[in-house]
Amino acid sequence: MWSFYFHELMRSLPFFMKGVWMTVAVAGLSLIAGTIIGFICGIMRAGRNKILRAVIGVWVDIVRGTPFLVQIFIIFFILPGIGIELDAFSAAVIALSNLSASFICEIVAGGILSVPKGQREAATASGLSQYHQLRFIVLPQAMRTVLPPLVGQYVLSIKDSSVVSAIGVVDITRVGWFTVQRIPEGIMVFGLVGLLYFAICYPLINLSGYLERRMTVMTIRL
Amino acid sequence: MISFKNVNKWYGDLHVLNNINLEVDAGEVVVVCGPSGSGKSTLIRCINRLEPIQEGELVVDNMAVHDKKTNMTKVRAEIGFVFQSFNLYPHMTALQNTTIAPIKVRKMKKADAEELGRETLTRVGLKDRINSYPAQLSGGQQQRVAIARGLCMNPKIMLFDEPTSALDPEMIGEVLDTIKMLAKGGMTMVVVTHEMGFAREVANRVVFMDDGYIVEVAPPNDFFRNAQTERGKAFLSSILSH
Ligand SMILES: Nc1ncnc2c1ncn2[C@@H]1O[C@H](COP(=O)(O)OP(=O)(O)O)[C@@H](O)[C@H]1O
Ligand SMILES: [Mg+2]
Repeated sequence: MWSFYFHELMRSLPFFMKGVWMTVAVAGLSLIAGTIIGFICGIMRAGRNKILRAVIGVWVDIVRGTPFLVQIFIIFFILPGIGIELDAFSAAVIALSNLSASFICEIVAGGILSVPKGQREAATASGLSQYHQLRFIVLPQAMRTVLPPLVGQYVLSIKDSSVVSAIGVVDITRVGWFTVQRIPEGIMVFGLVGLLYFAICYPLINLSGYLERRMTVMTIRL
Repeated sequence: MISFKNVNKWYGDLHVLNNINLEVDAGEVVVVCGPSGSGKSTLIRCINRLEPIQEGELVVDNMAVHDKKTNMTKVRAEIGFVFQSFNLYPHMTALQNTTIAPIKVRKMKKADAEELGRETLTRVGLKDRINSYPAQLSGGQQQRVAIARGLCMNPKIMLFDEPTSALDPEMIGEVLDTIKMLAKGGMTMVVVTHEMGFAREVANRVVFMDDGYIVEVAPPNDFFRNAQTERGKAFLSSILSH
């Protein structure tokens, strides 16, 4: 029986690959958007405008303090009620972008604030503009602190993307749900699901570890 | 060149600068001394508005630093500032540290800025450390890079906030020699320091501060031999006993 199901599972591999593609698409788009929005918000969060800082802080708290599943439901089921019609894929990308952005915002703000105050003072004293200070003095130094947890956040977001299966996006997890109804070997099916996520995340986990070591070495050297 | 008129500054309730009046002429070297917490750093940080003042007039190179509308980029480009803790950019080489502001603020061509950077680093005795990162340099070398960084903007004024206080004793001399070289070259300078030998050699005047007030202003020999106030005498005996 087991080998029969295994054979069946192998036959559904193309279906799983479609799921992989969907997961990569949702997570990839969300990470691009989340990184851009997260950096912009993180820079403002570490900036001088108190109102912006507070507004972003509230947003981050709300996103971090509510379950991701609930956030997706709000975007997918509640926004149409106020006239914003979204397909499942768009809703998934928006929800995951929003989630990733809030975490990346905090990572970036933390990185910027970890740069010693004297760096900005020296740059200010030499007449560098706010933009040049950020671009050439603060961000390059902040990136040492930011990069390892940023890549770590990418891994978390890829895993969190499995939640989008709840609104019908046919990602790896959803393919797993479909398949387990035909092939009632839960461990086998979801073992494959887990393996596929792992295959996507593993290079990033390694990259994160590598960056962590490299950044430590650079901090010691510099 | 630098003119304080009835300048007052507070941090919250703390009155850090109390009715400051001081004129520094072009080419003059003024040494500022006084006990820790007396407001020396605050005084010189106001000159390029690293700290804003709340009352009074502060004019630097004919530009009104007290006026919120003044374009501070222009003022700051004319003022080199050297910090106690160097504050070099750790991700840049010595040369890059000296060229970033000339390129971005003065809009100099990269090649010209690099030539200027090399020349200036050579002038402060770091010809062979041009491509070193700050962490590869000793404290004295780092501070000389910081001085070169300021000089590369071709400033009219150089400000020094305890430039040798963070250094091991054996490195103090090399940094003071560099600053003396500038003083003798006619640079307008305000130097916060307790190095009395240095003050005697190059300062035109010594400003003694205590508790947010300028208590005494005198030529160095007069102040060190014959302070006029009790607070000045007490301060001198406290630094002499170290
Ligand atoms: N950013 C700040 N906020 C509040 N108080 C400050 C700040 N900077 C300095 N002070 C206080 O102002 C006083 C003068 O400080 P400072 O100018 O650094 O003195 P000095 O350089 O003579 O040691 C001290 O009492 C110090 O604690
Ligand atoms: Mg000080």
